[in-house]
Amino acid sequence: MADEKKMTREEFLTQCGRGLLLLALGGGVGGLAARNVKASGNMVWQIDPAKCIACGRCATHCVLEQSAVRCVNAFSMCGYCDLCSGFFGSQPSELNEGAENQICPTNAIVRRYVEEPYFEYTIDKGKCIACGRCVSDCAQYGNGSLHLQISQEKCVDCNQCSIATACPRHAISRVPADTPYIPRQRPQS
Amino acid sequence: MKLLKAFLLACVLIGGAVAAERFPPPDLGPGYVTPQSVQGAPRADWLIWLDAGMLVAALVAASLIVYRWRSRRALVWLSVFSLAYFGFYRKGCICPIGSIQNVAQGVFDPSCIVPIAALIFFAVPILFALIVGRVFCGGVCPHGALQELLLVKPIRIPDWLAAGLGMLRYFYLGLVVLFAATGTSYLVCRYDPFVSFFRMSAEFGGWVLAGAFLVGSLFVARPYCRFLCPYGALLGIFSRFTLKKVEIASDQCVACAHCSDECPLGAIREGRREERKARP
Repeated sequence: MADEKKMTREEFLTQCGRGLLLLALGGGVGGLAARNVKASGNMVWQIDPAKCIACGRCATHCVLEQSAVRCVNAFSMCGYCDLCSGFFGSQPSELNEGAENQICPTNAIVRRYVEEPYFEYTIDKGKCIACGRCVSDCAQYGNGSLHLQISQEKCVDCNQCSIATACPRHAISRVPADTPYIPRQRPQS
Repeated sequence: MKLLKAFLLACVLIGGAVAAERFPPPDLGPGYVTPQSVQGAPRADWLIWLDAGMLVAALVAASLIVYRWRSRRALVWLSVFSLAYFGFYRKGCICPIGSIQNVAQGVFDPSCIVPIAALIFFAVPILFALIVGRVFCGGVCPHGALQELLLVKPIRIPDWLAAGLGMLRYFYLGLVVLFAATGTSYLVCRYDPFVSFFRMSAEFGGWVLAGAFLVGSLFVARPYCRFLCPYGALLGIFSRFTLKKVEIASDQCVACAHCSDECPLGAIREGRREERKARP
């Protein structure tokens, strides 16, 4: 009782306030953390290729100077076409790697001969700028094996992905970090 | 009629299936090795705990420097470290200022899962604010450190103006919580003045904002902290109930008023030179 008499009104109120705020902080954060325990650990941003329409906003809306999004070829779906609609423009003068024949503005698709009449197409990740032109044309005229994915070693994992807010199809969401890529799969028939 | 419909439906379904696989993947034989598209792994989990550890360590260091060692020089070096680690290495992400939004969205949207890093970065500086005051702002926040280190020629802003502009951050905090709670936008991250400098990449508007605040902090002490920072506002509320705070020992003070004249933030009100002159 003697101690309480020494305490001024201000000190008493400060202590009460501190206690209340501690309780509120502990309760709030504890509640949110409990929700986290049920979820499967850490989450990262990723594009769902089934929803993506390759509009090209990925290339420009990322906060990074060069977008973290890259094109990927799903080889299990690829037709290895001689006349690849993701590689050649609408009317190529010749079916070769000449810049005037290519659809890719940065020469990021590597075309390699396998056997007559098949060619293998791989993406040079250092050159790809995620404009989505090849993805769009591959989906329209080909098998749709080319698709866009957020490259996790490049992604800075922003609080809110600024591509996700710009995406017209809401194709970007958080996925568990242990399966950070959504594979392109054949449409179910 | 039913038969016709079924036939049409079958046609459409088969057509769809064929269209999906216009060019069936060829069998290239055993000699062909399908290339594996190398896809990088995300940031390792343990690095999150490293960030959290760094945050706690820096907060403890700041508290010790302020209360035990009472060294301004050490605090500046801690600021340099914080700027390097949380600013340039972590590129301003994750930061407690932005974590307000995760927490706000988590509170108002039950389906939203707040990343554990955001929770730690939100709660720990507040906990420290309840015990030792705003040491986070003083030595750990990369934004604060950057402005602190940039200050070369402080201009004293009149108290009435500073107080008026200081109200902005409560308004901004409300706006930030509102926008985050409705899931509309993360305002802090979107209009952060320094993160584009940390990342060295931004659009034109981002550079204009960064430039304005960088040039501003050459002359005005911590403009973002004092007038806009929503986390500073939040910590300010919590630090009113702090256990320890820096106070002037009135029995030892000789009222030279050096402190109140020199404080670039105008935080020490008593005994300023202009006030003494004004007195009869």
